[in-house]
Amino acid sequence: MELAVEMRNITKTYPENNLRANDGIDFSLRKGEILCLAGENGAGKTTLMKVLYGLESHEKGTIRIRGNQENISSPLVANRLGIGMVHQHFMLVEDFTVAQNVVMGIEPRKYGIAYDLKKAVSLVNEAIAHHHFSIEADMLVRNLTVGQKQQVEIIKMLYRDVDILILDEPTTVLTELEIEALFSSLKQLAKRGKSLILITHKLKEIIAISDRVVVMRQGKMLGTYETKDVNEQQISALMMGKSISLSIKHAKRTDESQPVIECKKITVLRQGQERPLLKDLNFTAYSGEILGFAGVSGNGLGVLEAVLGGFIPVFDGKILHDGNDITNIGTAQLRRQGLAYVPSDRLQIGSSLKASVQENIIVGESRSFRKNGFIDQRQVTKHTNDLLEKYSTKGTAQMPIGTMSGGNIQKVILAREIERYQDYIVFSEPTWGLDIASSQFVYEQMASLRDKGAAVILISSNLDEILTISDRIIVLYRGTRVASFVGDEARNLSKEEIGEYMLGIRKQGASHV
Amino acid sequence: MQFTIPMLHSAITIMTPLLLASMGGLFTELSGMLNIALEGLLLMGAFCSIIFSYYTASMILGTLLGIVCTMILSAILASVTLNLKANVFITGLAVNLFASGMTVVLSFALFANKGVVVFDNIPPLPLLGTPELAKIPILGDIFIGHSAFVYLSWLLLALCYFVLYRTPFGFRIRATGLHPEALSSLGMRPNRYRFASFLISGFTCGLGGALLTLNLGAFVPNITAGKGWIALVVIFLGNKKPIGLLIAAFIFGLADAFSNYAQGALNIPSDFILAIPYIFTLLAMIGSSIYANKKGAIES
Repeated sequence: MELAVEMRNITKTYPENNLRANDGIDFSLRKGEILCLAGENGAGKTTLMKVLYGLESHEKGTIRIRGNQENISSPLVANRLGIGMVHQHFMLVEDFTVAQNVVMGIEPRKYGIAYDLKKAVSLVNEAIAHHHFSIEADMLVRNLTVGQKQQVEIIKMLYRDVDILILDEPTTVLTELEIEALFSSLKQLAKRGKSLILITHKLKEIIAISDRVVVMRQGKMLGTYETKDVNEQQISALMMGKSISLSIKHAKRTDESQPVIECKKITVLRQGQERPLLKDLNFTAYSGEILGFAGVSGNGLGVLEAVLGGFIPVFDGKILHDGNDITNIGTAQLRRQGLAYVPSDRLQIGSSLKASVQENIIVGESRSFRKNGFIDQRQVTKHTNDLLEKYSTKGTAQMPIGTMSGGNIQKVILAREIERYQDYIVFSEPTWGLDIASSQFVYEQMASLRDKGAAVILISSNLDEILTISDRIIVLYRGTRVASFVGDEARNLSKEEIGEYMLGIRKQGASHV
Repeated sequence: MQFTIPMLHSAITIMTPLLLASMGGLFTELSGMLNIALEGLLLMGAFCSIIFSYYTASMILGTLLGIVCTMILSAILASVTLNLKANVFITGLAVNLFASGMTVVLSFALFANKGVVVFDNIPPLPLLGTPELAKIPILGDIFIGHSAFVYLSWLLLALCYFVLYRTPFGFRIRATGLHPEALSSLGMRPNRYRFASFLISGFTCGLGGALLTLNLGAFVPNITAGKGWIALVVIFLGNKKPIGLLIAAFIFGLADAFSNYAQGALNIPSDFILAIPYIFTLLAMIGSSIYANKKGAIES
C-alpha cells in the first residue's frame, strides 16, 4: 500500500532536561487511513508529530513524504508538502469571522491589493459544504461553540489542500455528540483519500475510529497494530507498561478517622462549553488517610486541583472543611483556613522562580517573621536552612529558586507546605518529572503526614503512584466519579483493571459509590 | 461667544498633528505593541522637516526628508525591540529621550542656538480653499482655509481605514495583536507586521511633526509638548477605531484652542489655562476607563 508518511529512526532529545522524547521511532502512515497515535502523557506522541509538522527539529532519522525524502524545517514547508496540524489549543482570532480565519495568509484579492471579503466568504462556504461541516463562513468565531471552532481549524487546513492531517487530542474539549460529528467528518475525509493521524490516549476512540494504532511509551515505539486485531485491554496494557515497586505501608480507616474535607455534588462549568468539567462529584477525605484521585488528563483531575486550590469557582455543590462551608471563598481565604497545597505546576503556581529560596519559603507566612514591623532576615535564613537540612535539599537560602533542579524545587515547596499544614494537604502530580529517589522521598513524607493524622488528597495521573500509596482510590472519567476502591480492594487492584475504569471501558454501579 | 468660529477653525489645525501621530500609533497598537515613542518621533519629524526645508529651500522636499529621518528612527526602534527583543517601553523611552536631547544638540551645532530658532526663508504655509467655498456660512469658516497637511490627514485617515479593514495586510496586522500564534502557525511572521506598523508610525509622526514647525516657521525646543503622549490617549479614547481617532483628536484640539483663546478673554491665571488640555486628558482617560469597566462588567 502507498505510504503517505514514512519516518525512520527519529530521535529527539530536549537539551533543557536531556530527556529523550523520541528514541529511534519508526512510524508510517498509509494513504487514506486513520491512524491513532496512543500513549500516556509524556510518551512522546506530540513531539513526534511536531517533528513531522516542522515545529521541532530532530537529531537523527529521515522523513519521507509520499516516497520523497524531505527536510521539514517549518510549518510553512509542511503546509507546502500537504501536511496540516490541528493544535490542541485553537489558533483562531476570536474577533474575525470563520472565513477571515480560514483564508488568513492566502486571502483572495481584488484590484491587486484589496481584500475580497465577499469572495472569501463564498470560497470558504464552498469548502464547508464540500466537507459537510455545520458552520457558516460569515459567523464570528467568538460566537462559536468549542466543537465549531474545531471545525474551523480543520477547514483551515483543508482549505490549504492538505492531505495529511494531524489532530492533537481533538476530543478533549468536546461533548459526546460533538465527538460523533467529528468522527463522521473524519471518516468522510479518509474516504476522500486524506490520511489522518489522531493523537489520543482514549481507548474507546481508538477502537471507534482508527484503522491502525501506534502505541508509544516513554519515548519508545512499542508497535503498530491493526485496530481490528487488538482490543481495548491489550492497548491499555501496552500504554501503561510495567509498574515499579515502591514499598509504602497502607493505613486502614479507623473509628477515630474524622471527615476533614467533604465535597458534595460539586459541578464546574466553563463558559461556551456544554460539557461540565466536573459533574456532581461527591467525596469525603478522612483524617489519617491518603485519598488518591486517578484519571487520564482531560477528565477532571486538573479541574479538581483548581477547585481545591480555590482558582476556579464551583457552579453548584458545597465544599466543607471540618464542617464549615468553604465553597468558593477563594485561594487567600482557603489558605487562611488551613489549605496546604503542593500544585502540579510547581514553576508557575508553586514557586516564584526569580525569588530566593527563603523568600519562597516564607511567602504568605511573613507575618511570623516580623520584628518591629520589618522582616527579620536572620531568622528567615535560619528557618530556611533548618528546613533545607530537614528535607535534605541541596542549595542555599539566598539562591534564586529557579536555579535549583526540579526535584529540589519540589522539596522546597513540600517543606513550605508541610510546615504550614494543619489538618489536610493536597498533592497534585507531586512526583511529576522527579527521579525515583526524589519520588520515594515525597511518598515517605506523604505517608508520615498520614500517620500523623492528616487528610492527604493525592491527585495524580501516574497510576503507579496512585496504586502504591493511596489508601483509597477514586477514579474520574469525563468529570464524574466512575469507580472507588477502599482497603484491600485498592491494594489488590491491577493496573489493567484501574486503567479500564480510567479510560471509560468499565464503570462501577451506583451502589458502589 | 464671538470667538467660537475662529476657535473651531484653529482647533482643526491644532488637532492635525495629534490625528496623524495617533493614526501611526493605531497601527502599532493593533499589532500588539504600546508605542510610547510617538512623542519622540513627532519631535524628530518636527525638527528634521524644518531644517531640511531650510537647507533645500523647499517645504515639500524638507517634509519628505523629515519623514525619511523619522522613519529611520522608528526602524531602529523596531529592530531593537523586535529583533533584539528589548522591552518596547524602554526602547520607546530611549527614543523620546534621544529625540529631545538630539534636537537641541543639533540645533546648537547648526545654529549656535539652544533656544527658539526662527527660519526667515520659510514662508508661512499656504492655505487652501477658494473664496467661493469660504463663503459657505459657518462650515466654510471652519473647514476652508487650512494648510495642505490638514486635508492630507483626512485623506490618510480614510486610507488608514481602508488598509486596516479592507486589505489582507490590515487583517494580518490586527491578527498579530489579537493572536500572534494564529499567524505563526500558518507560517507567517508576526514580527514582520509589527515592524511595518512601526514604520507607519514613523511616517505619520514625521508628517505630523512637520506641520508643527512649518506652521510656526521656527523650531522651539520640545515643541511637541506632550502631543505624542496625548496621541496615545487619543488612540484609547477613540476606541482604537479610525473614526474614533478623528473625534477624540478633535476634542483635544478644541480643548487646546479654547485655552489659547481663553488666555486673552477670561480672567483666569494663564498657567491654569495652559494646563487645560492636560487636565482634560486626565479626565478623559478616567472617564473612558470607568466606561470600559462598566461595559466589561455587563459583558462578563
